[in-house]
Amino acid sequence: MKRIVLSVIFAALFSVTALSQNYYVYVTAESEDEVSVIKFDGKKAETIKNIQVGVWPQEIEGPHGITVDPSGEYWYLSLAHGNPYGRLYKYKTGTDEVVGSVELGLFPASMQISPVTGLLYCVNFNLHGDMVPSTVSVVDVESMTELDQITTGAMPHGSRISSDGMKHYSVAMMSGELFEIDAFNLKVARTLDLDEASKGLVDHSTMDHSKMDHSAMDKKEEKPKEMDHSKMDHSKMDHSKMDMGGMKHSAFKPTWVSPHPSKDLVYVAGNGAAEVLEIDTKTWKATRKFITDKGPYNIDLSPDGKYMVVSYKTAAKTGIWDLETGKELASLDNSQKVTHGVAISSDSRYAFVSVEGKNDDPGMVDVIDLKTLKVVDTAYLGKQAGGIAFWKVED
Amino acid sequence: MKLIRIYVLALLMILPAAIFGQEIVIEPDNIVLEVGAKKKLNAYVMKDGKKLTTAVRMFSRARRSLSVDSTNTLTAILPGSYSVIAISPGAPRKTFEVTVNYPPIAEIKLDDVPNRIYAGTPITLSYSVIDKAGLTRKNPSISFASKNESVATVNSFGMITTYKPGRTTIEVKSEDVVNTVNINVVKNPITRIELSADGDQARTGDVFHFTAKALDAKGNVIDDAPLSYSFFGVSDNVSINASGLIKQDGRFVADEAGMYTVTVSCGVASASKTLKISAREVQRKIEVVGQGSVTDKHTSDFWVWEGVDGRDYAVTGTWGADGTAYFWDVTDPANITKIDSVQVDARTVNDVKISEDGKLCVISREGASNRKNGLVIIDVENPREAEIISRFDENMTGGVHNVFIADNHIYALSGGQKYYIINIDDPRNPYAVSKFELDTPGHSIHDVWVEDGIAYSSNWSDGIQLVDVGNGIAGGSVKNPTQFASYAYPNNANHASFPYRSKSTGKFYVIGGDEIFPYGLNTQRGGVNRAAGYLHIVDFTDLDNPEEIARFEVPNAGSHNYWIEDDILYVAFYNEGVRIVDLSGELMGDLRKQGREIAWIVPNDPNGYTANSPFTWGAQLYKGHVFYSDFNSGLWSAKLEPEKPKETKIQSK
Repeated sequence: MKRIVLSVIFAALFSVTALSQNYYVYVTAESEDEVSVIKFDGKKAETIKNIQVGVWPQEIEGPHGITVDPSGEYWYLSLAHGNPYGRLYKYKTGTDEVVGSVELGLFPASMQISPVTGLLYCVNFNLHGDMVPSTVSVVDVESMTELDQITTGAMPHGSRISSDGMKHYSVAMMSGELFEIDAFNLKVARTLDLDEASKGLVDHSTMDHSKMDHSAMDKKEEKPKEMDHSKMDHSKMDHSKMDMGGMKHSAFKPTWVSPHPSKDLVYVAGNGAAEVLEIDTKTWKATRKFITDKGPYNIDLSPDGKYMVVSYKTAAKTGIWDLETGKELASLDNSQKVTHGVAISSDSRYAFVSVEGKNDDPGMVDVIDLKTLKVVDTAYLGKQAGGIAFWKVED
Repeated sequence: MKLIRIYVLALLMILPAAIFGQEIVIEPDNIVLEVGAKKKLNAYVMKDGKKLTTAVRMFSRARRSLSVDSTNTLTAILPGSYSVIAISPGAPRKTFEVTVNYPPIAEIKLDDVPNRIYAGTPITLSYSVIDKAGLTRKNPSISFASKNESVATVNSFGMITTYKPGRTTIEVKSEDVVNTVNINVVKNPITRIELSADGDQARTGDVFHFTAKALDAKGNVIDDAPLSYSFFGVSDNVSINASGLIKQDGRFVADEAGMYTVTVSCGVASASKTLKISAREVQRKIEVVGQGSVTDKHTSDFWVWEGVDGRDYAVTGTWGADGTAYFWDVTDPANITKIDSVQVDARTVNDVKISEDGKLCVISREGASNRKNGLVIIDVENPREAEIISRFDENMTGGVHNVFIADNHIYALSGGQKYYIINIDDPRNPYAVSKFELDTPGHSIHDVWVEDGIAYSSNWSDGIQLVDVGNGIAGGSVKNPTQFASYAYPNNANHASFPYRSKSTGKFYVIGGDEIFPYGLNTQRGGVNRAAGYLHIVDFTDLDNPEEIARFEVPNAGSHNYWIEDDILYVAFYNEGVRIVDLSGELMGDLRKQGREIAWIVPNDPNGYTANSPFTWGAQLYKGHVFYSDFNSGLWSAKLEPEKPKETKIQSK
């Protein structure tokens, strides 16, 4: 009896402790030119601050990528549209004042800072450009100077740093490649053809055929759908004037890569193939395939290495996977269409998922409890909630 | 929980010791390079007095001026002082400075001066200073001196004043380098100047052309006389200075009514001519006729056209909203009626255009949910049942900001970098035939307008670009767009361009408009804004030598879109509504100061998205009515009263 009472008291105390914690994330509203601070107290999620961003008022500059530096002192924001190059802005956390900026490439998007080199690595997505290789910008955030641009593939996205801070991973959405950059020497170390890697790995033991979207995996269907070739009259096109760069259009269409917090593994979202690939960075080979719902887009791994949370952009859902078993623990409906980014709290307890919406829908952030596997609450912000970064948890 | 905190605290205490025990050492200590020099640096990490084997990498914070390669070798490209950072895993970064010396001056280049300079006439030296690396030195320290100051003196700006016949040498010195130019001052033969003009009375804004002949005592014309024009005036209005603009080729225009004296001089010889300038008096009344109210979202661009059924219609876009475009019946401009709408996957429909035959509408998309924007083609044969028939986004998905339709082709901006030309012979199956893109560093584009087979694009810092897309002037076609003329102005804000062939003078102008928001833009309901910028009137009559000759500015109002018909300009200024401007005759100087503004009307709406906050987007003259769209209140129509015969006859020049 005494043990039971103690247990109840302990549980109650733990619960109070947990509930008394406040979590904060920064989220971009890409079609509002705003960044919002979301506070979540364990029950209720709310926008507590909207920060206007951008310098070209009449144009939507598209705040897309956002990250908080390892110290939590500054946050960084990429504005996709410039004239024509986008810019990276540095803000002080808390006061949210601009302290610096630097011009990067075309449509700078996701980014992360290496705790070892102290440099920021930002992919120049070049979403709206020709199908030619783009770059990863490397930025000295102390002086906000672009030190280098490293050429990778067509439409690079998903810029993430390995746990040792020495490697940078990104994927090229259109050319279907995974790039490993030596974060110290600023050179591309390895590339992996993800279409081939996906084909070479058929792990039926982990496949759930009921959730497979075969139509999305049919290249003949997918390509015309994406590029709308059916409406093109190639016989009348003057191809000599068109710069297509000879680039392949990946059916796998990778959109994100996340390194494991403690193992030599990275996880790649195959947006076109409806799967996530696990790549062993020691062998540089795919080791597991996770068949997902439609349109896996962003991935975050819990700091304790237990969970992989995947946004299913097309399906408007969020998948929560047990990394050890390779099983999808839950697939939760998001609050509206177009699920975008994922950021997991530093204590591995909650996943914050941004949901864009369409037209004049407000942006939303769904907070998912990774213990109960349920959406706890939703916060509302400006249009097209996109990039999301976990800032801090406070008592 | 407590345990975790203790661990974290312990880690934080240990970490600095681990890190700060290490130090990156760079050798040599003080690095000074010459331009073009390479130097490999020795870099290593020290800890507790021991040299570690940990690698060190260096990066220049100015890599286009001082580069560092993977072997930590510096290459000095341009002179100056630059920061280099050194990084090594586990060690605090080190930042150090590298100086690249300015190369010594190698040469002072002086432009030619006339073989003979008439005494009493000034001349200005033109020069450039080149260093030994072949680089032009900016803001060099330079001095000038005349060897014979009784003949000529020179000031610190290189302006030479001549006094009497004789020879002198002007010495130009920078650092230890000296160059000289010999000046031959000859007797000024000019004893008088004959000055004539095309009239002596005119209105403000009318351009005079003065012709001067410098003559010697025998009446011979001195062709190489350096003539200098100036003017003095007295305004009819006692509280205003007489003002105007005079060019050194003899063109003069007055801003204010009054008496003006134009003087031409050459040394002590001069001639003057007095002009009487009357007020232009072109003002007319304008009145609001109707409004198609949109107050739940921002309105963007619009177009008015005659439908295939003979009725008159308009389409308006929306900004930062839900991707809607509205169709209106404007047959009765006093009763603008919303008749249909389409909604596309977008947040902004920034631009809308109608084909010449009134059957097709094209709208731009920005902020699409899949970030694939592009354009949408709508069948508007019956605008009451507007039907989306196709969309096009291949290679131009990036925020199509502006579009234009001409001769069965759509010109559509792509990603703010270029425009594609898309064939719509079959509007259900549009296909791209070509694209046009500049190759300047960081080029960007905002708008394109097509007329008579010439595409006029607005390219911010690259200014106005004229491209042959079928006119034939440069052998271009829609499949082979060929640039043949351009003009860029210094404020880098070229946002719109509109061609204008002056009916009254035959001159060919392109009017370039700025878009500037010096205080940002609050697009939320209740947001009040202030814009800036003006119209640049560029004379393209000589395509190889375009000349920015005039401006129209409403201060602190901000120019946006405009329309020109029958020598009248209808221009939207964000904060100050539609301004209607007389463009008749030759254009020069400040058109607003000249009293060329015929009328203005401001769209105030107490029920607007932001109440009583005019933010006028564009204007179009259509069948005698002025239509205009406003960011906060929708579509408007107004009527300008007809021009009345003047009671007072003004003598024309």
